[in-house]
This record gives sequence, C-alpha cells and structure tokens, in this order.
Amino acid sequence: MVKFNYKVLLLAAIVLAVSFGGRFAGLAVNTTQQITLGVFAGVISTTLFFWERRVAAAFIGVAILISCHAMTLHTILKATELDIIFFLIGMMIIVGVLKDLGFLTWVIQTIINRKRMNGVSFSLILCVLSAVLASVVDEVSSIVVVLALVFQVCDTLKLRPHPFVLMAVMATNIGSSATMLGNPVGIFIGNKAGLTFAQFLVGATPVAMASLVATLFITVFWFRKDIRSMTLAMARHRRMGLGPVLKIPYKTGLFILLATVSVIAFHHEIEHALALGGAANKNAFLIMTPLIMAGILMIWRPHRARHYVEKDVEWWTLLFFMLLFAIAGSLNEQGITQNLADSLTKHVSGGPRGMIPLVLLIASLGSAFVDNIVFVAAFTPVIQALVERSADYSVLWWALLFGACFGGNVTVVGSTANIVASGLLEKHGHHPIRFGTWIRLGAIVGLVTALIAWAMLLVFPSPRPASAVDPEPAPVVEELPSLNG
Amino acid sequence: MKPDDIHLTNFFSAEDIVPHCGEMSRDEVIRRLVPNEETYKEVIAREQMGSTVIRDGLAIPHARVATLKTPKVMVATSERGIVWPGETSAVHIVFLLLIPQNQPALYLQILRALGTALKDDQVLRTVAAMTNAGDIYRFFESGKAYLPRYITAADIMSREFLFLHDTDTLQVCVDTIIKNGVSEIAVLDRDNDLRGIVRAGELLRLCLPEYLLWMDDLSPIANFEPFAEVLANERKTWLREILVDDFPVVTPDAPAIQVAGEMTRYRSPCCYVREGTKLVGLIRISNFLNKIFRE
Repeated sequence: MVKFNYKVLLLAAIVLAVSFGGRFAGLAVNTTQQITLGVFAGVISTTLFFWERRVAAAFIGVAILISCHAMTLHTILKATELDIIFFLIGMMIIVGVLKDLGFLTWVIQTIINRKRMNGVSFSLILCVLSAVLASVVDEVSSIVVVLALVFQVCDTLKLRPHPFVLMAVMATNIGSSATMLGNPVGIFIGNKAGLTFAQFLVGATPVAMASLVATLFITVFWFRKDIRSMTLAMARHRRMGLGPVLKIPYKTGLFILLATVSVIAFHHEIEHALALGGAANKNAFLIMTPLIMAGILMIWRPHRARHYVEKDVEWWTLLFFMLLFAIAGSLNEQGITQNLADSLTKHVSGGPRGMIPLVLLIASLGSAFVDNIVFVAAFTPVIQALVERSADYSVLWWALLFGACFGGNVTVVGSTANIVASGLLEKHGHHPIRFGTWIRLGAIVGLVTALIAWAMLLVFPSPRPASAVDPEPAPVVEELPSLNG
Repeated sequence: MKPDDIHLTNFFSAEDIVPHCGEMSRDEVIRRLVPNEETYKEVIAREQMGSTVIRDGLAIPHARVATLKTPKVMVATSERGIVWPGETSAVHIVFLLLIPQNQPALYLQILRALGTALKDDQVLRTVAAMTNAGDIYRFFESGKAYLPRYITAADIMSREFLFLHDTDTLQVCVDTIIKNGVSEIAVLDRDNDLRGIVRAGELLRLCLPEYLLWMDDLSPIANFEPFAEVLANERKTWLREILVDDFPVVTPDAPAIQVAGEMTRYRSPCCYVREGTKLVGLIRISNFLNKIFRE
C-alpha cells in the first residue's frame, strides 16, 4: 500500500512537472494545452508505474480531454486511427489461422528435426528465425513461437533457457523494425508518413539486417559459455534428438503467409490499378489486405471463425492503442506538437540530419522504459509538422522507427515482446531475467544498433514518402524598376 | 450480536420439544415429531440416503418441504438413547429440521448454530438429561446459538483429503489418480504448506509439446507416441516440476458463494481451503452441490 501511494505521488509529480514545465518551455501556453500535456504525461506514466491500469488511465484521460474542451467527441474518434487497428486485427486473425493450421508448429519442428546442430548454429538459427518471423508476422507471435523452441531444446538438454531467451527477444525487436508487419510502430509510422510497403522495406530492412548481424556478434560473445554448454549437451544428446521427430503439414499455412505478404507488397500497384488515390485512400489496400485475407480464411473455416476473433485478437492491447492514439492526437489538435517542432528547429542546429541523433536518443530512451508505441504516437505529429516545413525532415521517420524498436531492447519493460518473454519464462517455472542482467546486455545492444541506424541514415538516402516532396519554389518576381528611377 | 441476527429458538418453541422419549426407534421418534405422513416419508427417505448423525449422540434428520413457507424445528431428547440404524452409539438429542425449498443454505446455518449451542459432549448429555421441555427451551434460548449470516467454506469443506508431496514422483501421482478416481490432487511441501496441485489434464499436456497443441487438427501426426517419453521418465519426474499454482483457493471464512465463484471461474471440480499457508480442507463440487441442494 505504501509502495502504491509512493507511485501515485510520483505520477502526480510528473503530471504537474510536465504540465507546468510545458508552459515554462513555451509548449503549452494556455490552460487547455497544459491539461492536454498533463493528461498525456499521466497516461505515459501509468504505463510505467501501473502497467495493469493503462487502459483505465487512457479511458479517464480521454474523458478529461473532452470535458476540458481539448478535444471533441468527433476529433477523438477521428484520432483513434481505426485504419491501423483494422490492419492489426486482420493480421492477428491471420496469425491465429497459421497457428491453427500447424505452420508455426512446422517452423519449430523443422529446427528440432535438424541434425548436427551445435550451440553456435542453434544461436544463429534462433536469432535469424526470431528476426524473420517478427518481420512477417508480429513481434508477439514471433516471440511465443521461438520461445517454444527454446524451451523445448533447453528442457531436453537440461540447460538454463535465459541466455537464449534474451538472444531471441533482442533479435525479435530488431527484426520487427524490418517491415510494416513486424511491429505496430512500423505500420503506424509507415501509414502516417505515407510510405508504401516497398519503400518501407527499402528504408528499414538494410538497417535491421545490419543491426541483427551486430547483435548476433554481441550476444554470441556475451553468452559464449552458455553456447559452449549447449554444444556439449547437444553432442551428448545426439542420439536422442531434441524432441519428437514429426512431419507437420505446412504448405497451406505457407501459401497463406506468402499470399498475404505478396499482396501487401504490391498494395501500391493495386491501389493504382483500382484508382484508389488521394489522401482519403492513403495505403487503402495495405490496410485492407489483412482484412480481406482474414475474411477469406474465416469463410473457409467458419467453425473456428469466432475463436480467431475472440481469442487471437488482442482486444485489450488494441483498445489501449486506440485511446492512446486519441490522446496523442490531442497534442496535435491543441498545437503543442507544432510548438515543439518550432522549438526543435530553433534550438537544434544542423537541420534534419542534426536532429537524427536527438530523435534516435529520445525514442530509444523513451521506449526503453515505456511501451514504444506511446512514444511513437506522441512524436508522430511533431515529425509531421517538421515534414510539412521541409521534406528533408522525413528522414526523422526512420530515426523514430529505429529508436523505438531498438530502444525496446534496453530493459525488460522496453517492448511487448520482452514482457511476453518474461511471462513465458515464469510460466515454464524459471525465474525471470533480472533487471540488471537485462540492462547490461540491452544497453550495449541498444547503443550499438542505434549507432548503426544513425550511421546508415547519414550515409544512405532513405526513401521519402510521395507526399513529402518539397513544394515547388515560388517563381521569382523580378522587381520592377521604380518609376522614380 | 446485531439486531437482525436470527436466534436458533426463532424456529421452535417449548411445545415442539419432546423430552425423555425413552427407548424408541429412529422411525418412532421421527413419526412422533412429524405427524404428517408425506413429510415423514421424506425425512425417512433422506435418512435412507445416509445417516444424519453428525456426532456421537446428536442426529439432525431433515427434509426440504416444498409446501413449507417458514422453517420448522422439532426436538426430541432421550437420556437412555435412541437406536439409530447404522450407528454404533445411541442418539440422545434429535433435532428435526423441515426446511422450505427456497432456503437451501438454511440447513447448514442451523447446523452451525447447533454446533455453537451444543459445544461438547458434556453439554449434550446435560440437555439430554433435562426432563422438562421448558428447561430445554430455556437452555437454548439463553445460549448464543445465532444463525451465521452466510455459509462459509469451513461449513462445507471436507477435512479429509488426498495430498501428495512435491518430492513424490510422477509415477506416484499417476497411481494415486487412477486408484482414487480423482482428477486433481493437492501438493504439499515438506513443511506441509500448500505448494500447488497436479491435474490429470496437465499430465496429458506434459506428454504433448506445447507447440503441437497450437494445431487445431492433430490427425496428421496421429502416429506420434506422445506418452513414451513421459512413461520412460515418470520415476525421475518430480511433482514440483509439473505442479500448477493457478487453482481456486479460499480461506475458511469465505462465503459459500465465493467458493462457487472460484470453482466456476477456474472451471475446476475442487476448491482448496487454505488457512495461512496450510491446506485445511477441500470442497469438491459434488460435496458442494450435495450440501446446498440435497442435504
């Protein structure tokens, strides 16, 4: 109870500090803006101190915003980003079907059936599998699958699973940044920036791959003793294998996944063919594809349709996202993000390139302690405001993406995948990974991957959304000679 | 005591007490207390399902009567003892309860109040020796035999239950489940603290790798022998490795409705009653239904 009160006091202090600090810094110049800033700080702090109460806090936050005229019911509904929510619902249903059909079981079984593995090759396969799976399904489904593999192998070999869990989680967080499908942050940024799937792939995948390679080196070195133990245990256990050797049917599942990813990959061309242009139909087919696929799959398997919708869709998380997007939208509605954009352009030298490390740093540090979508939702309107001034600022979308995804590796609460992994460890009767143990490795991986992202963003040109093109310069009007000479 | 607390004597008067019955049979005593033929048959039918002697010298024959609006209690005493079929010792006090159908928990509430009134054998014998109905009534009236406000887990729990230790093996567990026909067993540690339970369903889950259960249709792997490995290791698998800690638990003073809620929430056939860290009782759903609906 004492702990609870202490946290409540801290939360109240943060809300007041942000609210009045915002006024002092010139971000919130009137009372409504101050309240808006306070509500946003309150909801973020709740996710940090009272994780279980985050949806409740978001409900109350929305009510306060409406009551204080910071938002209207109409603008709240508009800001909930239903397009992204629909996309996530569709993807969650597709992943549920893939599980049901045995595709994800097949992925695990394929690795268990492999002969002549050792600790290093298992670690490499684990990291690559985590990253690839996270990039095509989602980070949470990916971590559940790869940890089932880790537990199966470690239980069979009587090894501590913790090092391999950490490796898998870090690779998952990095892999989730590679495509729009990997992380809610990806689809949110991609959609807000107006990037196509292909553009996102070109911009994000090379950085994610380079970061994954670096992470592989770091983690394999970090856990070299555990990997050596695994090699020895595998040698001892060679005759018995790592689990039951089974043939799992996978072709239907693989076809569904490939079909979904392919249609999503060509969404821009399909939109073009269907004349779905303009801001009102931005990325329309990208959003619709998971819904169409989910609809077809539910028609095909009507007896499981209700199960997919009720059990495979994370309604709690989606509800939080909707409310959070609405609250973040209020910052834009009230002009706070415009003020922040003004302040940034005024105080940060070096233009867009100078802001890359700042955005990377803020997003990484924020995502290390708070759910990364919270920071992305807050920062998006700021970057939108900056991009409206100059298309060069669109590089900051990428800084935001990598900061949010890579920063999630720093602490155990940094991303949903980390929290799920921690819970699965406990569920399997193991003690959770200690905060200190996590942060020692996480900070190194976070720092190195952020530096890689920074360097690559500086060196390589990142794709720009079609909307972020600098307006044509106004024709120069030659000054007429004065009549007076 | 609160103003709306109900005293045991609210349900009977001195006229309902038959003292000094002498050497009568069970059926004769019940016949004497219940003149109505139909109700008599119902009480006897309940007796034939199982003796209602709840402790040496005290019997609580009872029936739920559909036509009854308010509960009715009748008392008979016998210093020499009434021969009760199936019981080795004679009964000295008979409390006959007729309960309306719509008050299923009342029987247990009255039982608790009686437990308070007749604390030990000495008190029971003293009451049985009283020759005057008025004295018996005054005895009960002067005591603190108030009906509890609700039925608690302690009222319905069984104090005898199966348990295993976390150092027992899977083999012992499987044998115990098969032998006793139960679906779950409590697991205690060496200090006899409740550590968790093992469920027969979880044992099946143990045989199947988790990722196989993601599949809706397991027919493609119908040739898989999931039990071979578990069978090979059942003597080397300790219960502490497989017990679950997610099961319904209540304290002894939890209301019966809480017990029902926990069992429903967990879809479990049992609710475990824990006092501090110790397991003090077990409520099986069959016992619960019997106590509430039948007894």
